[in-house]
Amino acid sequence: MVERKLVQGNEAVGWGALSAGCDAFFGYPITPQNEIPEWFSREFPKRGKIFVQSQSEVGSIMMVYGGAAAGFRVMTSTSSPGWALMQEGMSHLAAAELPCIIVLVQRGGPGQGSIRHAQMDYLCTTRGGTGGYKNIILAPASVQETHDLVQLAFYLADKYRNPVIVLSDGILGLIRESLEMKTMDFGPLPEKDWAVRGRERQRDKNFRFVHSGVGTAAILVRGYPDYISWLEHMDDKYEQMKSELKYEGYQAEDAELFLVAYGYPARVCKEAVNMARAEGLKVGLLRPITLWPFPYQVIKEKAESGGRFLVVEDSLGLMVEDVRMAVQGQAEVHFLGIQSRHLPTDGGMILPRRVLEEISRLATEEGR
Amino acid sequence: MTKGKIIINEANCLGCGYCEKFCSRECIVIPGDKFSPRGYLLPVFANPDRCNACGVCNWMCPHFAIEVYKYIENEGTGSS
Amino acid sequence: MNTEKVWAAPNLLAFSPTCPGCQYLTIGRIIAEVLEELDIEGKAIAVIGIGCNGYISYALNVDRILGAHGRPPDMATAIKRLSPDNVVFTIQGDGDCMAIGADSFIGALIRGEKFTIIMCNNANYGTTGGQLAPTTLMGQITTTTPDGRNVITDGYPVHTAELAATFRGVAYSARSAVNTPANYQRTRKCIKSAFQKQVDQIGLSFVEVLSACPPNWHLSPVESLKWIEEKMIPEFPLGEFKNVNKTD
Repeated sequence: MVERKLVQGNEAVGWGALSAGCDAFFGYPITPQNEIPEWFSREFPKRGKIFVQSQSEVGSIMMVYGGAAAGFRVMTSTSSPGWALMQEGMSHLAAAELPCIIVLVQRGGPGQGSIRHAQMDYLCTTRGGTGGYKNIILAPASVQETHDLVQLAFYLADKYRNPVIVLSDGILGLIRESLEMKTMDFGPLPEKDWAVRGRERQRDKNFRFVHSGVGTAAILVRGYPDYISWLEHMDDKYEQMKSELKYEGYQAEDAELFLVAYGYPARVCKEAVNMARAEGLKVGLLRPITLWPFPYQVIKEKAESGGRFLVVEDSLGLMVEDVRMAVQGQAEVHFLGIQSRHLPTDGGMILPRRVLEEISRLATEEGR
Repeated sequence: MTKGKIIINEANCLGCGYCEKFCSRECIVIPGDKFSPRGYLLPVFANPDRCNACGVCNWMCPHFAIEVYKYIENEGTGSS
Repeated sequence: MNTEKVWAAPNLLAFSPTCPGCQYLTIGRIIAEVLEELDIEGKAIAVIGIGCNGYISYALNVDRILGAHGRPPDMATAIKRLSPDNVVFTIQGDGDCMAIGADSFIGALIRGEKFTIIMCNNANYGTTGGQLAPTTLMGQITTTTPDGRNVITDGYPVHTAELAATFRGVAYSARSAVNTPANYQRTRKCIKSAFQKQVDQIGLSFVEVLSACPPNWHLSPVESLKWIEEKMIPEFPLGEFKNVNKTD
């Protein structure tokens, strides 16, 4: 008998982390993800696991660094303004090659922004922070997928010794859907021989050094002959990470117009596809599940066979640039963004009817 | 009185002068004409007879350039 | 006549990476001796900040991590909470602890984390060439206070050990120096007391150690020790500001 609960998206993060064997959560209050630290504060201590509310997001991300360096499964969560504070930490985590997950529940920006949903952090997550590191980004579009991708994130983080981002938004975080609680097993992982535990606990009794300044100390600490050799190692790793590409096609086999969307707009687009198909329009949805690595190849293939694209993103146009890059000038790429919300406020949403309107406009000769 | 001797590691010495300053028995002197391979002014163990192996020179040396030994009577073997 | 070695260098050190007269390796060696004496070296984990004080790790044979500037108290919080039987301590400079790391430092003090913080105070940002730091003295010339620290633009030097003592979760807060053999032994006592507080699981322990920085003070090493005695200690008095066996 499968266990199902009616669960809010933010809380599904917690249930997923628990199933993944997360040892500690470090976080800080920020809307619209407060339910996440609150869940951990209720559910973790009673299970003997660690919850710490830090003094800031700068604190949370560096607590994640410490916990990860000690070989534990650790995570944090935040929203857009807090994510800005975590950029230094992310760069250090990437340099020290530490596994961890960060759940980012996007809200409107820039700056203090709005406290409600948006999709304005695509660039500062896919492009990374200082130093040009890369990280896998998993973008759920439902409560179930949030729960499942959190578990996958822990696995990928350990597999590649790299931070993994789970990118949600203020709507996905707050909706309630049926969640099937399950523990997912993705396969075996190597032991964390590099972690700090106290020298007497190391098998070879030699001390370990987890270090984020490898550019200055590559030779001494990590055993690379020089800085460039270490960067080549990182580059190899990022190439390998590209094999984790995931995307979903919905009614995409015979489509002539492809909607491209992630997060809550992907749910909206599914509805719009259904409505368009009912009117005989050959529309499909390409939904990236990993935003990095991005599904450039499948978009290019659809472009080469004559497809047109409509990117639906609750922003001024961020992911649309990757779609434009993918088609390499061979197809039309249209954009429906934040200006098309049903209300011009922080609470406005891009709704199916508006997407259908755009689909219909593009289907007419005028739209060509 | 305990008698001692020191060995100065000239490669490590950076000529800071703490050993000369803190030896309370004036065993260590920086003559000013002896230099390490890296160009630092080296101290010399000028008055070995006065050394009592107190170890203060070793405590205060910030570059681990001094080792201190204590002379022991012939019974048993000293480890060095 | 046979000899017995009584005072020697740790085997780890092949060369001294510090400037002539810099006392960070002295502090490092004191820490190494205390860890050995308390028999906690094998389970110790050092969390190193950014700065010359990081060279302290050259005197230690312990697992260590190095992360972002100012963040050791955060990293140490996580490690100590997840692995409380490890002895966790931070090694930080005055700027790492009380400027860029103030957020992290105060957070740990408020939460009363049960690790040890060792803050090395040399009254400037040494590694980057000698800029103004929170503990720079009034009138002290640094590369960013070319006319000397003055109250209007730079405020007053901060007294970190006294500040730490005001937090309830702190079990031990002391300031010492290593500019004389007597102070060397005093520092050894303070560091031992600090680690003992962690072993006894009482609360956060903090030790501030005044340390010479001859190149950035533009003094010879011996003159630097005199400067500590005559200028730093009157501003930053040595002593134990808090030493309790229970924090509530």
